Amino acid sequence: MTARAPSSPLETALAARMRGAPPLRANAFDAFLKRGFPHRRIEGWRWTDFNAALREAPGAPAALHETAPPLAADLAGLKPIEIRIINGRIDIPAAAFPAGVRYGIVDAVGTIPELETNPIAALNVAMTKKAIGIEIAEGVALAPPILIRHIGKGDGFSFAQGLLRLCAGSSATLIETFEGEGAAFHSHLFHLVLKDDARLDRALLCETGERAIIHSIFAPKIEARARFTQASLSFGSRLARHETHAHFVAPGAAVDLSSAALLSDERHSDFTSEIVFLAEGATTRQRHKGVAKDKGRNVFQGKFRVERSAQKTDARMTADALLLSDTAETNAKPELEIYADNVACAHGSTAGALDQNAIFYMRQRGLSDSEARAMLIAAFVDSAFDSIQHPGIAQAFRKRVSKWLEGA
Amino acid sequence: MLKIDNLHVSVGGHEIIRGLTLAVPAGEVHAIMGPNGSGKSTLSFAVAGREGYDVTAGSVTLDGESVLGLDPSARAAKGLFLSFQHPMEIPGVATMTFIRTALNAQKKARGEAEVSAADFLKLIRAKSKIVGLSDEKLKRPFNVGFSGGEKKRMEMLQLAIFEPRFAIMDETDSGLDIDALKMVGDVVNSLRGQKNGKTARGFLVITHYQRLLDHIKPDRVHVLAGGRIVKSGGPELARVLEESGYEQFIEAA
Repeated sequence: MTARAPSSPLETALAARMRGAPPLRANAFDAFLKRGFPHRRIEGWRWTDFNAALREAPGAPAALHETAPPLAADLAGLKPIEIRIINGRIDIPAAAFPAGVRYGIVDAVGTIPELETNPIAALNVAMTKKAIGIEIAEGVALAPPILIRHIGKGDGFSFAQGLLRLCAGSSATLIETFEGEGAAFHSHLFHLVLKDDARLDRALLCETGERAIIHSIFAPKIEARARFTQASLSFGSRLARHETHAHFVAPGAAVDLSSAALLSDERHSDFTSEIVFLAEGATTRQRHKGVAKDKGRNVFQGKFRVERSAQKTDARMTADALLLSDTAETNAKPELEIYADNVACAHGSTAGALDQNAIFYMRQRGLSDSEARAMLIAAFVDSAFDSIQHPGIAQAFRKRVSKWLEGA
Repeated sequence: MLKIDNLHVSVGGHEIIRGLTLAVPAGEVHAIMGPNGSGKSTLSFAVAGREGYDVTAGSVTLDGESVLGLDPSARAAKGLFLSFQHPMEIPGVATMTFIRTALNAQKKARGEAEVSAADFLKLIRAKSKIVGLSDEKLKRPFNVGFSGGEKKRMEMLQLAIFEPRFAIMDETDSGLDIDALKMVGDVVNSLRGQKNGKTARGFLVITHYQRLLDHIKPDRVHVLAGGRIVKSGGPELARVLEESGYEQFIEAA
């Protein structure tokens, strides 16, 4: 298969940026061009069509010298170490981290093999020259949360990469926000290595304007007895897909993934994940809660791939959706692919409307229809936040859900 | 206090209540007895304002004001309480939060001061002791994992906390043992004697059995059959029904 010619203003502009690129990036761009932006006829992208959304996208990079909007007060209250990536430009304050953390702007790295079938990941590798690098030394428990703000401003495209490494026995909390207005296309590719007994708690908050087109990949490699938890809250956008690709490479590790999407107007949210079990005795719990009203579109795709080497895997996944209007949409694809014989794996998926009996009961007790609905929706979503360890983050999430419900 | 006059109610196009007339004066307890399918639950849902229970004719007034056309929450704020035959489980909704939010929503609608978190805690602790619900049960999501009897105790807890002007109790006795029946009687009787503002409270007790009426002495007993009241009498009527059944009155209807 040979690379086809660029077929949109965006692809043409991207191709122009490849002149003189080194082989790794040039090859990655060829891999992208062979397929182009993924579209609805490609497995795994049926409900999230980047090709259609980007056909008319501007063929220019997003402006590099934008400034960041002020940080939300509740997140500022967590006293985080704040790093901004504004339209792809990395902005780390000097002396940001305490001792035990090495950080800086490093050369961008390649992609992991599983991602080579993902054209947007290939494009990110082709386009990104520099990445943010953070390494937490052995045994260091980093107290302040690391906050990475992905800020897109104006129209145009941008790319960002990150490489995080938590050495043995270290721990940290990472918050990533996706912010900004404008009809921009932003692609993010972050790798994480969790060495033995390390722990990372990640929180993802996507609250961009309605025109943003976002694609993010977070790819943790999880070693012995390490812990990775992730809690995500997305209010969607024109197209917002957040992927998680985790690999259990050594025994006894655990992953806990929660995601919630609250979608109004024509907003779209896609949480896609693949957990690959390569070693014995890993545990995974995953839950997704999607709420869509108006013409909101909720997408969940979750896959557990349990290789023969991963005996005694214990993995469960549930995806529940609540549809608040006839025109709202939900699409769920939970998948198990199991090659080991001694495992406990399960998945389940539900979709429904609010319970009218419960609403009447609550109204009979004095709540208005909208108060009753808000309470039921909040209750539906809330279990996605049960595993958040940091009380301030859980509170920030709940506050945003309440605010969304006030508008619902 | 509660006056129902020539009420007609249709559900899904079928007329279930067909010209029901009933008046419960302030301070009185009336019982409605009747066979399955006679319209007892339809009556309670229609008075509480449930969607799908279409009032096609007649009137329902509480203290002289029509409640028809009011939102169920507005009826609740006016002091109309329905103890459900089958109370809901509401997963994920904290019991205390729900009851306090509901109580304060009612108070706000009436222009009364809201109850603080601390005062509410004292109130619910005291009332939960009376109805026999443990602290552990109050910490659960609303009614989740409760037995049928526990759900009825939760209804009585809300009755005791809201202190409504008028309560309709739809088969509160089903699923209750003898001790629990006595508790229901205690809760109702303690409210019955109280004066709320200028007038006393009223109750409409829907039941199949005499046994609840041993604990809540009704002033009047009505037989509901075919969507209307076919016979009314004093407390002795309940005993007659228990002994000889409804047949004699259904024929009369």
